[in-house]
Amino acid sequence: MSDAQPKRLTDIGPPHYQKFLPPIIKENYGKWKYHEILKPGVMVHYSETGAKLFTVRAGSPRLLSTKKIRIYADLADKYCDGHLRFTSRHNVEFLLTKEENIEPLIADLEALGHPVGGTGNAISSLVHTQGWIHCHSAATDASGIVKAVMDELLPYFKTIDLPAKIRVALACCLNMCGAVHCSDIAILGIHRRPPRIDKENLPKMCEIPNLIASCPTAAIRPSQYQGKPSVEIDEDKCMFCANCYTVCPALPLNNPLNDGVSIWVGGKVSNARHEPMFSKLAIPFLPNNPPRWPEVTNAVKHIVELWLKNAKKHERIGEWIERIGWPKFFRLADIPFQKEHIDDFKHAGLSYKRSVHLTYM
Amino acid sequence: MALDIEKVKEAMYKLVKDSAGMKKWKATDLHKACEELFGDEYDKRGIGKDAIKELVEEGKLVYTYFGGSYLEIPHKEGAAND
Amino acid sequence: MPVEKKYETPLLDQLETGEWPSFVKEIKAAAENNAMANDLLGLLEQSYREKIGHWKHGGIVGVMGYGGGVIGRYTDLPDKYPAISHFHTMRVNQPAGWFYTSEALRTLCDIWDAHGSGLTNMHGSTGDIIFLGTRTEELENVFSKLTAAGFDLGGSGSDVRTPSCCCGKARCEWACYDTMGLTYYITNRYQDELHRPAFPYKMKFKMSGCPNDCVASVARADISIIGTWRDEIQVNQEEVRNYAKSGLDITKEIAMLCPGKCIEWDGNEIQIDNSNCRHCMHCINLMPKALAPGKDRGAAILVGSKAPIVEGALLSSVLVPFIKLEEPYDDLEIWEVIENMWDIWCEEGKNRERIGEFIQRVGLGNFLDAIGLEPQPEMVAFPRDNPYVFYEEYFEEEEDQ
Ligand code: HEM
Ligand code: HEM
Ligand code: HEM
Ligand code: HEM
Ligand code: SF4
Ligand code: SF4
Ligand code: SF4
Ligand code: SF4
Repeated sequence: MSDAQPKRLTDIGPPHYQKFLPPIIKENYGKWKYHEILKPGVMVHYSETGAKLFTVRAGSPRLLSTKKIRIYADLADKYCDGHLRFTSRHNVEFLLTKEENIEPLIADLEALGHPVGGTGNAISSLVHTQGWIHCHSAATDASGIVKAVMDELLPYFKTIDLPAKIRVALACCLNMCGAVHCSDIAILGIHRRPPRIDKENLPKMCEIPNLIASCPTAAIRPSQYQGKPSVEIDEDKCMFCANCYTVCPALPLNNPLNDGVSIWVGGKVSNARHEPMFSKLAIPFLPNNPPRWPEVTNAVKHIVELWLKNAKKHERIGEWIERIGWPKFFRLADIPFQKEHIDDFKHAGLSYKRSVHLTYM
Repeated sequence: MALDIEKVKEAMYKLVKDSAGMKKWKATDLHKACEELFGDEYDKRGIGKDAIKELVEEGKLVYTYFGGSYLEIPHKEGAAND
Repeated sequence: MPVEKKYETPLLDQLETGEWPSFVKEIKAAAENNAMANDLLGLLEQSYREKIGHWKHGGIVGVMGYGGGVIGRYTDLPDKYPAISHFHTMRVNQPAGWFYTSEALRTLCDIWDAHGSGLTNMHGSTGDIIFLGTRTEELENVFSKLTAAGFDLGGSGSDVRTPSCCCGKARCEWACYDTMGLTYYITNRYQDELHRPAFPYKMKFKMSGCPNDCVASVARADISIIGTWRDEIQVNQEEVRNYAKSGLDITKEIAMLCPGKCIEWDGNEIQIDNSNCRHCMHCINLMPKALAPGKDRGAAILVGSKAPIVEGALLSSVLVPFIKLEEPYDDLEIWEVIENMWDIWCEEGKNRERIGEFIQRVGLGNFLDAIGLEPQPEMVAFPRDNPYVFYEEYFEEEEDQ
């Protein structure tokens, strides 16, 4: 590199957010009184000082080119004096003081292919992970499924009339980097076959004691291959965490025949009404079928539509299922109940039905 | 007599070097080993932390991540491409 | 500099249609002038064809002196896709609340166009700005330009992960404390812990301003700081009536769904028995103009949530039922509690054991003893229902006590 190297700084931390706040927010920090959702994707916040701040929220694929970010920046200059923010679910939000800028901004965003919505009782963008774009342990892709699912669910992004919020998330392996396990619907990539050992290359690429130590369930044991130290795997103990593959590339876990997707339902994070809940297993396995994963998109759509039809107002998916009971959910959704649905981990017993509060219709 | 940071660094470096390929050391493991070696004089939050920081900044040790963070002698890893 | 198109991508092309914004279009846009993005297209198409990923984990790459902030990646097909033979991700610590000026965004883009793939995530699940893909020798260049522009790397590995928060007082009337201010403070207080991994495993902080918990802190932070209040919900009866007039069925949609069963509506005024309010936000969410959290505001601190690996997933549970979180933050007592927690976790925790798992293993009661907190009923959903109490002390007949 020919660039002149400036003095090396470390531990400076992030820039102070004050530098990036629009003046209206600096002036009204902590003074907001209430807000209204004017229409899908558009909110107005009223301050006790009388100020009004308009927010326009648009969907995003999360994976953005610098070109798109520059376009966002141009839009912020054009309509918002150069100010914008992102949300915890990867949406982009433009912060306006001039009401008359709302419609032109929305027109520009829609023309750019970024739908406006995701506020209130709607679906918001999917929190998701890296998948085949970047991760070594992915059992499925992330961005592709998200795109295919959101293409199907778009009408529910551009509304505010659903019974309640619906939060869908995707993680491409059990490590689950992204808040999936407490989602109304969680799409989770799963491996079904333990790692295969590339015995020829293993001694060249990996340190065996460290490899053995890497397995959280002690499934990897020392052995011999052609007189040299090697390892073997106790397949019953493997929980498909890919940690061995992280340490040693000669233990590939990914496998097209056995990798796929599972669907979990009924989680929530917010405290509103019911306490936070984990998502529970609805569909143990669906195949990877790129580029549009029709089995997965249909399953998600099916569950969403079932909820729309049956839920009472303000019932999130988990609250709805809790009211009708899981047996009825499986009957209504026409999902076969099988062995995989029954927990066999540590506190499995707590999930068994311990009463005769049952429904039969 | 205060403990000399160079002595701590030397001890830490030796621990890591002598077991390279056999055991991976986390910062906490190094602190525990040094507490055994140096006794009460060793303060993990003071001299211990500084010793690790200096070893890493001098390039003698490097942080690695293999499902957890470790301190290792710099080397080329199995997964690396040119 | 323009880059020639190298690959046909019939499968990925199918993801350019449909109304949701397309990540394929983003990669293609970057690929017009970036060889890495171009090769990524080819590799991803191959993954779509074969239904398998093509990445290897790189555990050693990073910037000098830091143990976090860079995720090493190499493709397993370097000869076929040489431009992404290295494709390391950099985590850049976001400004609290994810507010930007257009100028700051352009600065970030300039750095990444010069030294990386031109592809990003805005943002990663932990909250960082993700710079997706560059070569080992570019890491220091990016880092020095970032710091010159006032940005630093975030956490990865067994360290304090980049703290994140909801927009709080910047734009939300329900924020019970200054989430952005506190997040900025915590991030700076723990810079060393963030950049130099010294824990058994990762340690995440997430700050939400109210029990709606917009950053999902209860599910994905080891330390979840959730705003709440302990006096009466503020009520404007006139506005309540306006909501009723505009069609809101207050009995059915609010009173009957209130988990504390503490709301009554007589058609004219709403009565809330605040001593039984669970602080769930439902009534306030439905009538933001009429109701507001009380004035005695602060937060509850919960600990221990984590994803399933290794011992199963956990939600955070209450450690401090209520605390005022006001400046000067330096004077707050929670830092000592948090640092005591870290000490015992570092001392006794197993490798890759999150603090939530650690607490389950040693027992919450013993953990409280170790960090010097008194047990409180708010910490449990219910007291024990098994009679196997292990008393640590008992009396012997001979001793006269
Ligand atoms: C054995 C355990 C784990 C391994 C090997 C692992 C590995 C990884 C890797 C390799 C990445 C980078 C993905 C990429 O950029 O290519 C990643 C990202 C991440 N991981 Fe993990 N992880 C593990 C456990 C966890 C757990 C338990 C959590 C949370 C509970 C978690 C949260 C995250 C988050 C938030 C990200 C950022 C992802 C994004 O923004 O897309 N990880 N993890
Ligand atoms: C009508 C009342 C509500 C308002 C005005 C409101 C406001 C907000 C705001 C300002 C954000 C952006 C926060 C950020 O990204 O930092 C947000 C995000 C979020 N809120 Fe709320 N909230 C409301 C009710 C709720 C409720 C009742 C829940 C849960 C049941 C909830 C769950 C969420 C979630 C999951 C996010 C992340 C969404 C995203 O980034 O797109 N909110 N909300
Ligand atoms: C009973 C089942 C489950 C439980 C009890 C559970 C629990 C948890 C908990 C407590 C966390 C907080 C993690 C942390 O950040 O430390 C978490 C994180 C996560 N879980 Fe689950 N989970 C369950 C199932 C699932 C499922 C089915 C999925 C995916 C479909 C999933 C995906 C995730 C993801 C992506 C995170 C992200 C964590 C982060 O961003 O840090 N979980 N889970
Ligand atoms: C604090 C702990 C407990 C105490 C002090 C306790 C005490 C008692 C007593 C005094 C009886 C009546 C015995 C009799 O009629 O002669 C009883 C019955 C019983 N207890 Fe417990 N018990 C405890 C915990 C439990 C637990 C944890 C379980 C099961 C999970 C349990 C299951 C039963 C059952 C099934 C009966 C018979 C009930 C019946 O005949 O209706 N107990 N217990
Ligand atoms: S969920 Fe698993 S496969 Fe996906 S990015 Fe995270 S660690 Fe990688
Ligand atoms: S995938 Fe995880 S559990 Fe299975 S062998 Fe590898 S390290 Fe062990
Ligand atoms: S968590 Fe509460 S205070 Fe923060 S943005 Fe969400 S609703 Fe507002
Ligand atoms: S906040 Fe929740 S518990 Fe409290 S009064 Fe309102 S609805 Fe009831």
